[in-house]
Amino acid sequence: MTADTEVASRAAGRRAGGRGTAPHRPGGPAPRARSWLYLGPATISLAVWVYGPLVFTGVLSFLHWNLVSDHPSWAGLGNYARLVDQPEFPHAAWHTLLYAVGILPFATVVPMALAIMLWKKPGAVSTGYRALLFLPVVLAPVANAIAWQFILDPLQGAANGLLQDAGFGPRNWLGDPATALPVIVLITAAKVVGLNLLLFGAALASLDRRTLEAARLEGATEWETTRFVVVPQLRRTAVLLGLLSLVVVWPWIFTNVAVLTQGGPNGATDNVYYRLYTYAFTFFDAGTASAAAIVISLAFAVLLGAYAVLGRRRADPGPGSGPAGSGPGPAGARPERGRSHASV
Amino acid sequence: MPAFDRWPRLIGRHAVLLLTAAVMLLPLVWALGSSFKPSTTIFDMSPVPLPASLENYRTVFSAFPLWRMLLNTFVTAAGVTALQVLVAVPAAYALTQLTFRGQRFALGLVAVALLVPVQSLIIPAFLMISHLGWRDTYPGLIVPQLSGCALAVVLLRNHLRALPPNLFHAAALDGATAGETLRFVVLPLLRPALSAVVLLVFINTWNEYLWPTLAAPSPKHTTIQAGLALFLNQEGPEYGPLLAASILATVPVVAVYLVASRRIADAFLHAGPG
Repeated sequence: MTADTEVASRAAGRRAGGRGTAPHRPGGPAPRARSWLYLGPATISLAVWVYGPLVFTGVLSFLHWNLVSDHPSWAGLGNYARLVDQPEFPHAAWHTLLYAVGILPFATVVPMALAIMLWKKPGAVSTGYRALLFLPVVLAPVANAIAWQFILDPLQGAANGLLQDAGFGPRNWLGDPATALPVIVLITAAKVVGLNLLLFGAALASLDRRTLEAARLEGATEWETTRFVVVPQLRRTAVLLGLLSLVVVWPWIFTNVAVLTQGGPNGATDNVYYRLYTYAFTFFDAGTASAAAIVISLAFAVLLGAYAVLGRRRADPGPGSGPAGSGPGPAGARPERGRSHASV
Repeated sequence: MPAFDRWPRLIGRHAVLLLTAAVMLLPLVWALGSSFKPSTTIFDMSPVPLPASLENYRTVFSAFPLWRMLLNTFVTAAGVTALQVLVAVPAAYALTQLTFRGQRFALGLVAVALLVPVQSLIIPAFLMISHLGWRDTYPGLIVPQLSGCALAVVLLRNHLRALPPNLFHAAALDGATAGETLRFVVLPLLRPALSAVVLLVFINTWNEYLWPTLAAPSPKHTTIQAGLALFLNQEGPEYGPLLAASILATVPVVAVYLVASRRIADAFLHAGPG
C-alpha cells in the first residue's frame, strides 16, 4: 500500500488493510478496452444463462416441440392461442392474482405494524425480536413445507388436533379447494413478513424521531402519533415493498405448491408459474410452456415499467434511501432503487 | 404517561410480537420436537418428545443417501457462491471505478437481468445441460446458477460507489494499474460487503429447489431440497424420517444464521430496495 492511498483511506476513516504493498510500476490507469476484460465474465455469464435463454424461450414459444424430437414444427401464434383457448391458463392467471392479493397485506400492513412496534422501543429486546422474526426468510423452503404438511395432516395433524379439542370438526386443509390457497398464502407469508419487517425497519431508521416528540407534545395519543405521523412517512416504502414482494414471492409460492398440493385440489392452488412448469416438465410441451414464460415476463415488464414511470413523475428521494449506517457499507446513492430485489 | 398505564401496553406489545414469532416459527419448532418421536407417538400433541428416540434419523440415513445430498448441497452452494463472486467483483469494479464507453449499457444489462423471471429461463437452461451431458453432475447444478450473478454485481457495485473516489485517484497517481487497484485497494475495503454477498448467495443456493429438481433428478446427485421432495414423492408422507431429514436440511442454514445474523440481515437489507 502506498503512502497516498494510506492517507486517503485514513481520511475516509477506514482500515484499508495493510496486506502487501502494491509494486510501483509506471503506467496510468487501465486503458478503456481493458474495462471489458473486467466485465467479460459477468457479461458472458448473463449472455449465456439469462439473455440467451430468454431469446431461446421466445423462439420456442413459436414452435411445437416435445423437448426430445429432432424436428420441432412451426406453430406461429398457436401456442399463445392455446394459452387463451384452454381454460387452465386463464384459471391459473386468475389464481395468480388471488395469491398476489392474499400476499399484499403480509408485504405491507403486517410487517409495517410490527416494524413500527419494534422501532418505538429500540434496544436489545427489539433486536432479538427482529432476528427471530427474520429467521423464516432463511429457512429451507422444502423442509418448511414438509413441516407444515405434518401439522396440517387431515387425519392426525396437530392443527386438527387443536381444533377438535376446541370442539370443531377436522378439516382437510390442503385437500379442500376452499382452504388450500389461503393456507399456501399463509405459509408463504412468514417469509414475506420477515423480509419486509427488516426493510421497513431500514426505512424507519432514517425517519426523524423528533416528529414523534413534536406530536406527543401537541397532546396526540400514541395511536394518533402512529397513524398521522409515522404511517404517512412510510407510504412510499409500503408501495415499493408491495411491488417488490410481488416480484420475489413466486419462487417461494412455487416451492410450497410443488411440495404440498401440486396445483390441486382441482386447480385451486394453481398459478402461472406452476402451470408453466407443468406444461414443460409434465406434458413436455416446450412451446406452450415458453409462450407462458413470455407472457409472464411481459406482464412483469408492464408492472415494473408502470412503477418506473409513476416513480419518475414524483422525483423525491425514495423510501429506505438511508438505512442509517446499518449496513456494512454506507447506504448512499443507489440508482437501482426499485430494480434490485432480494431473491431467496 | 403514568406508570400504571404502561403495563397493559407493554404486555400487549410482547403478546403480539411473541404470537407472531410463534406462528412464523411454529413449523420449525414442531418439526424439531416431532423428529425425535418414535413412529408410534409421532402425532402426539405433546411438544416435548419423551421418551426421545433417534429412530427417525437412523431410518432416513439408511433409506436415503442423506450425507451425499448434504454434501452435494454444500458443494453446489459453495461453487455457485465462488463463481458468482469471481464474476461479480471485477464487474462491479469496472462499473464503478473505470469509465468507458458502453458503461451505461453494461449497467442496464445487469439491472434488467435481475428482473427476468427465472421460470422463463429454465427450459433453455435444462436443454443446454442435457446437451452437454451435465445432468446429475456438479457443473449442471452449479454453472447455470450463474444466471443469478446480477444481484451480486449490483450489491457490490452499491458498496463500491460509496467508497471515497480519492482513494482510487491516489492509487492511480501512484501508478497502480487497474488490476493492482482492484487487488490492493478495492478488495480489502470490500471485505465486509463481500462476506455479506457470500452469505446471501450461499443461503439462496442452499435453499434453491426448482433448479436441482431439473438438473439432478437422481437421489445420489441432487441437493437436499430436491432430495426431500423426492423422498416425499417416493415414500409418501412417512413423517418421522421426513421431519428428521427436514431438520438436517435446516440446521446448517440456521447455524450460519445464528453466527452471522447481523451480517445476513445486512445482506438482505441491501439486496432489498433502497
